[in-house]
Amino acid sequence: MIEVSGLSKSYGGFEAVKEVSFTVGDGRVIGLLGPNGAGKTTIMKVLTGYHRPSAGRAVVGGVDVAKDPLAVKRLVGYLPEGVPLYGDMTVTEYLSFIAEARGLTPGARAPAAAKAMEACGLGGMGPVLIEHLSKGYRQRVGLAQAILHDPPVLILDEPTTGLDPNQILEIRSLIRSLGGDKTVILSTHIMQEVEALCSEVLILNEGRIAAQGSARELSEAMQGGELIKAVILARGGGAAGGEPGAGAAATALGWADAEARPLGDGRSELSYRATAGRGDEEAERLFDWAAGSGAKLLELRRERISLEEIFVRLTSEEHTK
Amino acid sequence: MKATMVIARRELRSYFNSPLAYVFIASLLLITAIFFYFLGGFYAMNRASMRSYFALFPAVLAVLVPALTMRLWAEERRQGSYELLITLPFTEAELAIGKHLAAWAVIATALAATLPVPLMVGALGRLDWGVVAAEYLGALLLGSAYAAVGQYLSSLTRNQMSAFMAGAAALLALGLVYQLAAWLDLPPWLAGIVNWLSLGYRFISFSRGVIDSRDLAYFALVSAAALYLTAKRLYFSAWS
Repeated sequence: MIEVSGLSKSYGGFEAVKEVSFTVGDGRVIGLLGPNGAGKTTIMKVLTGYHRPSAGRAVVGGVDVAKDPLAVKRLVGYLPEGVPLYGDMTVTEYLSFIAEARGLTPGARAPAAAKAMEACGLGGMGPVLIEHLSKGYRQRVGLAQAILHDPPVLILDEPTTGLDPNQILEIRSLIRSLGGDKTVILSTHIMQEVEALCSEVLILNEGRIAAQGSARELSEAMQGGELIKAVILARGGGAAGGEPGAGAAATALGWADAEARPLGDGRSELSYRATAGRGDEEAERLFDWAAGSGAKLLELRRERISLEEIFVRLTSEEHTK
Repeated sequence: MKATMVIARRELRSYFNSPLAYVFIASLLLITAIFFYFLGGFYAMNRASMRSYFALFPAVLAVLVPALTMRLWAEERRQGSYELLITLPFTEAELAIGKHLAAWAVIATALAATLPVPLMVGALGRLDWGVVAAEYLGALLLGSAYAAVGQYLSSLTRNQMSAFMAGAAALLALGLVYQLAAWLDLPPWLAGIVNWLSLGYRFISFSRGVIDSRDLAYFALVSAAALYLTAKRLYFSAWS
């Protein structure tokens, strides 16, 4: 549905996006992740036809954005950052303006507006002036105008910024319900959002793609694979050479770079980074060792590297280079 | 055309939802009436003519029209709604013309509200209604040219106040430069050029009751040129 190749965009002398390429398949939800100023918003502005690329191509639904921006604008529903709406209109007035602007036939306008309002939880807000709405409701009106003409592509710039936790959950479930049917690109700097919503992630840093893939692929690709953590209880009774605690486990299993930390009362903590794909096996070996040596596993858990960790690593490494 | 009207209707609604349209209409009525009755010596003139009334319009509209047009783009840019508007499927020309029609409609409403003035003058003495009609046509065209120039200047900034001041300065210059020719006693060839350029001078011939196709064309040309520049400005801001 969306193909971006070699896209660059500069404002004046500043290059906000540098040779970015990616594709988004039909019905996929893709998240753009990156620190402020990484180029997320610029990419979205190009895809909505608001900005033309300085170099490279962006194709939406088979249409080149630079060649026929008007056709692209018809295909796309857009929620800009900050949700700039006309405060002097009521919700109904505003949505019927959008319906007209989107070229809906007179008969289709009211039902489309009603449907969008319902989907966004705006029931009863029709006669309210937009400037009197709370931030959460403004955000919903912004979403309602984006989905009103049932576009195949939705571009949402930080759709949950400034909302309270309940509103965030509602907006997320709305976005999730739209995926599958529509191709969605959303930007955020909230990691859980990406993990909760997106089939694929694009991490941007300083105008370039730092990593891309599904959240799982990214964490596997980012070395280290998994972290195995265990709390081991070995009260008193070790044979010669001390307790069969964390240290003994590391030695027995040949986990050279494992960390062992006594917790007192015969308990000790072991943490070991298993290489990608070997998590199951290593955890099993640890279990078997504990069973064989009489130590007790009070806790055994495995952690994938969080997207957050990947993000920080990718975006701060670049800075220090 | 349909899309243009969608923009025009929204813009018009926003004019009349705010005090702006009413303030504009009231100001135009009040300022022109004060000058006409009290300062212009209407009664001393002892003649039923609207000429001195309409002679005020190039200057008064030059100050009031920018107050109407300053928000057209500056406000959109400031509050960010510009971005949503641009990503709706409108062409740049539809946007510029739609906004122009809205501003022009407010000006036309204000002109319609001045109709009691000639009606009163007509009741006091014999008024040539053909001339009055020509004067109104001239005022409408002048309003269109002013509104288009005002809109263009608004598209250059995100600050309404600078759009207003640049607009008032430009329109006062464009409207009144012909008086310079008279005051400074310019050589005829230079005066000719200055008059040719001045919207105010063109307007004067309407208040003589003369509808010259060259004057019509000139007003149309200025409006079209300013709207074209506005559309170009919108187009190029996507590339910047």
